[in-house]
Amino acid sequence: MAKYILKRVLMAVITLFIVICLTFFLMNAIPGSPWLSEKTPPQATIDALNEKYGLDQPVIVQLGKYLANIVHGDFGTSIKMQKDRPVLDIITTMFPVSAAIGIIAILWAILVGVPLGCLAAYKRGTWVDSLLRVICTIGISMPGFVVATILLYLLAGGIDGFKIFPTIFDGSLKSYVLPCLALGFYPMCYLSRQTRTAMLDSINQEYIKTARAKGLKNKKIIFKHALRNALIPVITYLGPQVAFTLCGGFVVETVFSIPGLGRYFVQSIQNRDYPIIMGTTIFLAAFIIIMNLVVDLLYKLVDPRINLSKGGN
Amino acid sequence: MAEKRKKVLGSLQPDVEDILEWNNLPDNAFEPASAQEKESFIQDRKSVSYWKDAWRRLRRNRVAMVAMVIVILIGLFAFVGPLLVPYGYDEQIRGANNLHPWHYSLEDQARIDAYMEEHNNTANLTPDEAVEQAKAEAAAKGEELSRIEEAKIRANAKASQGSGEGEVTEAAAIEALGIKAKPFGYSDDELQRMENGESVFPHVFGCDTHGRDIMVRTMIGARVSMIVGICCAIIVLIIGAIYGSISGYFGGKVDAVMQRIVEVIYTIPEVLIILLLGTTLKPVFEQFQNSGNGPLQQLVTTLGPNLISIFIAFGLLYWVTMSRIIRGQILQLKQQEYVTAARALGAKGGRIIKRHLLPNCVGQIVTTTFLQIPSAIFTESFLSFLGMGVSAPMTSLGSMCSDALSGLTSYPYRLFIPAAILSVMILCLNLFGDGLRDALDPRLKK
Repeated sequence: MAKYILKRVLMAVITLFIVICLTFFLMNAIPGSPWLSEKTPPQATIDALNEKYGLDQPVIVQLGKYLANIVHGDFGTSIKMQKDRPVLDIITTMFPVSAAIGIIAILWAILVGVPLGCLAAYKRGTWVDSLLRVICTIGISMPGFVVATILLYLLAGGIDGFKIFPTIFDGSLKSYVLPCLALGFYPMCYLSRQTRTAMLDSINQEYIKTARAKGLKNKKIIFKHALRNALIPVITYLGPQVAFTLCGGFVVETVFSIPGLGRYFVQSIQNRDYPIIMGTTIFLAAFIIIMNLVVDLLYKLVDPRINLSKGGN
Repeated sequence: MAEKRKKVLGSLQPDVEDILEWNNLPDNAFEPASAQEKESFIQDRKSVSYWKDAWRRLRRNRVAMVAMVIVILIGLFAFVGPLLVPYGYDEQIRGANNLHPWHYSLEDQARIDAYMEEHNNTANLTPDEAVEQAKAEAAAKGEELSRIEEAKIRANAKASQGSGEGEVTEAAAIEALGIKAKPFGYSDDELQRMENGESVFPHVFGCDTHGRDIMVRTMIGARVSMIVGICCAIIVLIIGAIYGSISGYFGGKVDAVMQRIVEVIYTIPEVLIILLLGTTLKPVFEQFQNSGNGPLQQLVTTLGPNLISIFIAFGLLYWVTMSRIIRGQILQLKQQEYVTAARALGAKGGRIIKRHLLPNCVGQIVTTTFLQIPSAIFTESFLSFLGMGVSAPMTSLGSMCSDALSGLTSYPYRLFIPAAILSVMILCLNLFGDGLRDALDPRLKK
């Protein structure tokens, strides 16, 4: 167990390091500099600015310095969007907004998606199953922005006299509804499909037959015996999805003008604010990688059949 | 036959009478077969190839067939459509700004105008008209309007126009007169030309703010999406197949190292990197494009730097799944006797992979490649929606949706038409891909 955990943690650290380097080199590969605007400043000013932010040194030196700073918890300061504000400070104020919406979204996705999947498996072959399958297949074929804009149109003033929710996120309880609905829709459909397949898999197992032979009630078999095993593959999917929904939601945040990290990341790329791009990428990547790691370890704990000492595959 | 042999119940003895009867051959039994007989003999045994068999299974899958037809229709819409419509995707048609996908005939329009004129007075004038009118009035009195007054009138006119309170709007006038809109959009100019007997191609989906025909833009957008999907799938196929088969075939240390690399790439948050790659590669290619006039630069120009950077971003990250699937297949297949036989005959690794292993996992490869297409389209539309995909004047379904977002309440169809085509396309590709998987690899069917 300890060896496995060590291996996985090491792997995660290496991945994170690669992401950092990749982001760093990509940032430096962009032609043009953050100082270019309609009024190009004189060369002396550019040189001074470059020197101030250490942009005049070789790339490798910059990378080394940056890595050293990160270890000390210093992600640098914004050089364009919010001048001289520490990146870490920006992340810590923006992340909670994204996280709140993400948590609600993923919660409703689980609470609705998993039972729907069970229902579909339970009523396999009936019209309920077919209907759910159609809805979920359509659901995973619609890009996030389509779902978000349809909701925006239907429930936020597109139709006359049918404006229930505000168009723009203002932090009130009502303004949470649409973004959360939109963000959770895709995972809900996906989870429901996954649960259905996993349920059907486990229903066909021998121990279910035994339970049936013993004369257990159908409901008990489904919810106590089948569901528990069916949840294992569902958990694997949930890990990366939770992480991604929590911080991502790029599209939903853009559509509803939510001041979250996802939208800020997109804006920082458009504005070429290097420290912010670096900081957000590393933060999001670290978050996703750690969540993956946690879920992977949990997964092995949940399912005692998996042999840890032999490693992956 | 089997029942015939056992005349006595429980006896294993074959029925000899029957067998003896076989010897009674007809007289013509040893004559050479006629040409027709030969032909029918061959036809009886015509072997069913792998693809034919799969096609037979696929044809029976009704959902997949409907999906395929829709995909083909969208393909025709995207590739043949722009040839039939006389407008260009970046052509700005004069007087066609913000055209709805419906129109009123000239008489109806005259009636609406008259009705509105009757019920509203100056209040419904556009700001410019109001100023003109005030100027004329002032001139009649021998005065001249100051700039401030002019601005006031303009603001008043704008406000009353916007609010529409206490006056008849165009919509109300149309309702009061009971005029029905006719399908397809035509600008006033075009209506006039039609009146004069010219035939004018309609703006089926209307026009956008710049007067560009939305239908052509949707076609071009769908085309971009399809090209991106297919090209990305091919890139993923090539990288994934080579990497996966090498890793699976050679095994041992090579495999261990290659799989560690795969694991690392697997854990990299792909959307973050795609966003980064997409934006960083674009300017690099643009610079390259402007650097000279060689054949490579020409290629970049024809494809467009945006598309190429999307391809690369996809190719670099999405081959991982493909390589894993192929590796798994190869690991199984390389234990088979025919591989040992080939090796015994002195075939080299590359030949064995190419001639024996890859053709045997072709079903898996085709399905995975195909399912890559909708996922690539999905991601491309996401990138374009965030403004990081193809750049103007080129369009894609995602960027059309994001353009339409600002006018959502007034022109909802501008968003919903491309969004619907995009969703239907992804849905049908997914459904067809599922059908393809069931047909090509029946063992996987659940």
